[in-house]
Amino acid sequence: MAARTTEPPAISTPAATRSGSASFWKSMRHSKVLLVMCLPAIVFFLVFAYGPMPGAYIAFTNFNYRDGIFGSPFVGLRNFEFLVKSGQLWLLTKNTVLYNVAFIVIGNVLQIALALMLNEIRSKYFKKVSQTLMFLPYFVSVVLIGVIAFNLLNYDTGALNALIISTGGNPVKIYSEAGLWPFIIVIAHLWQSTGYGSIVYFAAIMGLDTSMFEAAAIDGASAWQRIRYIILPSLKPTFVILLLFSLGGIMRGNFGLFWNLVGNNAQLFQTTDIIETSVYRMLTSQNNFTTSTAVGLYQSLFGFALVMTVNWIVRRINSDYALF
Amino acid sequence: MFNSALSRRAVLGSVAAVAAAAGLAACSKDTASSDPTGGAPVKITMLVLGDKPTNGRYQKMLAKLNPILTKKANATLDLYYVEWADWQTQYNVQLLSGDSKIDLITTATDWLFGWENAQKGAFYALDEEILKANAPKTWEQVNKKGDWDLCKLPDGKIYFMPEDNYTQWTNHGYFYRGDWAKAAGIPDGTITKWDELTTYFTWVKQNQKKAFPWDVAGANETPLTGYLQGHTDGQTIQQLSAGNYYPFQTTAADPYTVGSWYAESDELLAAAKIAKQWAEIGVWREDALNYDGDTREEFFAGLSGADQHHTQTFLGVETTMATRQPDANPKMFWFGQENKNIFRDIKTHGAMAVAANSKHPERALKVYDLIRNDEECYRLMNFGIEGSDYVLTSDKKIDQPKGFDPAKDGLGTNFWAGRMDEFELPRVNQPANKEALFKELDGMAKDYPYSTLIFDKTQIESTLAAMGSVFSQYIPQLQYGKFADPEKAINEMRDKLKQAGYEDAKKSIQADMDKWATDKKLK
Repeated sequence: MAARTTEPPAISTPAATRSGSASFWKSMRHSKVLLVMCLPAIVFFLVFAYGPMPGAYIAFTNFNYRDGIFGSPFVGLRNFEFLVKSGQLWLLTKNTVLYNVAFIVIGNVLQIALALMLNEIRSKYFKKVSQTLMFLPYFVSVVLIGVIAFNLLNYDTGALNALIISTGGNPVKIYSEAGLWPFIIVIAHLWQSTGYGSIVYFAAIMGLDTSMFEAAAIDGASAWQRIRYIILPSLKPTFVILLLFSLGGIMRGNFGLFWNLVGNNAQLFQTTDIIETSVYRMLTSQNNFTTSTAVGLYQSLFGFALVMTVNWIVRRINSDYALF
Repeated sequence: MFNSALSRRAVLGSVAAVAAAAGLAACSKDTASSDPTGGAPVKITMLVLGDKPTNGRYQKMLAKLNPILTKKANATLDLYYVEWADWQTQYNVQLLSGDSKIDLITTATDWLFGWENAQKGAFYALDEEILKANAPKTWEQVNKKGDWDLCKLPDGKIYFMPEDNYTQWTNHGYFYRGDWAKAAGIPDGTITKWDELTTYFTWVKQNQKKAFPWDVAGANETPLTGYLQGHTDGQTIQQLSAGNYYPFQTTAADPYTVGSWYAESDELLAAAKIAKQWAEIGVWREDALNYDGDTREEFFAGLSGADQHHTQTFLGVETTMATRQPDANPKMFWFGQENKNIFRDIKTHGAMAVAANSKHPERALKVYDLIRNDEECYRLMNFGIEGSDYVLTSDKKIDQPKGFDPAKDGLGTNFWAGRMDEFELPRVNQPANKEALFKELDGMAKDYPYSTLIFDKTQIESTLAAMGSVFSQYIPQLQYGKFADPEKAINEMRDKLKQAGYEDAKKSIQADMDKWATDKKLK
C-alpha cells in the first residue's frame, strides 16, 4: 500500500497499447513471471465476473427453462419497463447514490481522522488495544446488527423506549419514522466499517518518509502543522484511489445491513429502499429472474459509467491519481 | 482502449462456446429419453418441500420401499428436499437450473407456481399415451373424475398429475381461544362475525396483560383480505399474482368480469379502517413488520390471543394446545364464514410433475403410479414402517409407537402430491371435532370456478411486477393500520397502480377470461 501512495502502478505498458501483435506477445513474454503471479486473480475474474457476463442477456428475453438463456425469445427492453412504470427508478437510484455518497464522504473523513489519532498515540499497548477494538465491529454479522437494532429500537419492548418511558417521556415509533432511518443506517454502517477502513490510512501514514517529520520537528512545526502540511497532502493519492474504488461500488449498497435493519417494513422504503433490496424483494417474492437481471444490469452499467466519468475527471486534474 | 477488437472476439467466442454447450446438452437429453424398462434399475429422484429430517427414518423406509419399486418398476426412489428457509426462491432456482438429476417435482397451481413453471418449460409434457403406458392407475382414477383438463396448457399436453382424490381443507382463518372469547362476552365463546374479533382483541388487550391479542410477525395481509372475503362475494383468481399479492377477483354475481379488491372495491377502505382500529387497540406489536417471533409458539404459550393459518394446521394446533393449555379451547374463525364465501381446495393444490430434463420420464411415472396407487408402497411412503413409524390399532386406526415424539421422529417424506382418500386411515389422536368441522365446511363451501382457465402473462409480466412493487409498499402499511388517513393512502395506491398499467393488465386478463368462458360455453 505504501508504494502506491507515492506512485500509481503502471497498469498498461506503452508497448501493449500500440497495435501490432508482435510487440504484444513480446511484452507478454517479457512479463512472464508477473503474469503467472497474476494468474489466480485473472482466473478468479474470468470465472466469477466475465464468465457469467453473457448471462446478462437474460435481461432482454422472456426467459423459459426449456429454451435456456440464449434460446428464449428476445423482448428488447420490456423487462426494464416495470422500473419506469412502478415509478421506482428515480427513488431507488437516488437512495442508492445518496447513501453511498454519505458512506464514502463521512466514512473516509472519519477513517482519516481515526488514522491520524492512532498515529498520535504514543503508548504502544493502548494503540494496539484500541485498533483491535475498532476492528471488531467489522466482524459482527449484519444479521446480529439487525437483531441488536430491533432490540434497542422497537416500540413495545425496545431498550431505548424503556429508558424514555422510565424517565417519564413518550415512547418513539422508530420503525414507523422513515426520516430517522438514513441516520440509523449511516451510523450503523460507519460503526461497522470505520475501524477497518482506517487501517489503510494508518498504514499509509506509517509508510511516509520519517525524514520529513524530522525536518519539520527541527523547523519547529507543531503537531497540528505536521498533520496539516505533511500527512494530509501525502494521503491525497491514497484517498483518491480509495475514492475511485468506492465510487465503482456506488450503485451497490451494503445489502446485508439494509436488509437486516429494514427488511420488509414498507413504511421505511421511501428513505431506505436501494436497488439491491428492491431486486431481492422482487426475486424472492416474484421469482422473476428477467426483471431482476435487468435491474442488476442497470446497476452495473450506471456504476461503470460513473467510474469512467470520475476517472476521466481525475485524470484531467492530475493524471498521476487516475486509476487508468 | 487496449486491443478492443481482440477482446470483443474473445467475448463473442465464449458466448458461442456456452451456446454450443447448451445445444449439446439439449441433444443428449433427447436421445436419452427413450426408456426401455430393462437394464439396471435407475434411481428416480423426487423433489419434495420440507426440512430434511435428520432422524434417518425416511432412509430406512426407502430401504424397504426400493426393493418393491425395483421389482415392479425396475427403479429406486430417492428424495431431494427444498427446505422451508426461503423456499420460494430455492424452489424456483432449483427448477431454473434444469438439473437432470431431478425426475419428479412436487408442484401446485395455487402456491407452487405450477402454471408459471409449466409455461416456462420446467415440466415434461405428458399425454394420454405415456400416462396410460406408465401410470395406468393414476390415469384411470384422474380420468374417471374428469380432472386431466385441470392439468393442461393450451397445447393440450398434460403437465402434472393432480392430487384430486384427497380431502383436505386449506381455507384460512384466525385461531383464537374459546375460553378468552367466552370471558369477553362473546356468545358461546364462538366468534361468528368480524366485529366480534374486535371485541375479542379488545378484551385480550385489557385483561391478558402478558399477551398480545395477535402477536403476528412480519407481513400478513389477512386483516384486509379476510374482511374482504367475508364482506363481498369476491372470488380471487389464484392464477394471477403480482409479487406476493393476488390482486384480481371476480364476483359470484358477475363471475366473468375481472375486477380487483385492492384496485377497485369500496370495501377495502372499510377493511383498512378496522385494521387501523385494531392497530390503535394494540392488537399487534407496533413493529410487527420487523418482528420475527413465532406466533404459533406464542399462542401455545398463552402470549398471543390469536394465530392465523388454515384448517389443516388448526387440527394440529388443537392437538398441541390440548397439552400446552388444556383450558384454552382453541377455535377457528374462517375467512368468509359470515357470508359463506369459502372455497374448497382446488384439485391442483398438490400435483406431481415429471422434470423436463429427466433422463427417465417413463420410469419416473411408473414409480409415481406405485407410491400413489399400490397400498403397500403408499403406506411406506406416507406412514413409514409399521411398528417403528406407526402402529395400527385393532380398529384400523393409526397410532404412534411407544416413546414416539412427533417433533423429532416424524417420517418427513412430505408426499403431498398424490395422497388418496381410500388409503388414508384415521389417526388415533386426531381432534374429535375433525369430522364435524369438515362437514360444516363442506356445507358452506363452493368450488373454485376457474381451475381450467389459463392466462397468457407474457405481455403483462412487467405490469404485474410493477403492481407487485406498488402493493409491497402500500399493503403492509394498510394491513397494520399505519396510515393516518387510509382513504388518502388507498387513493394514492390506486393512482400508482394505474401508472403501473393496471388497466392494461386487466384488459388482457379479461380477454383471456372471455375466450375461456366462450370456449367452455359459460357465457
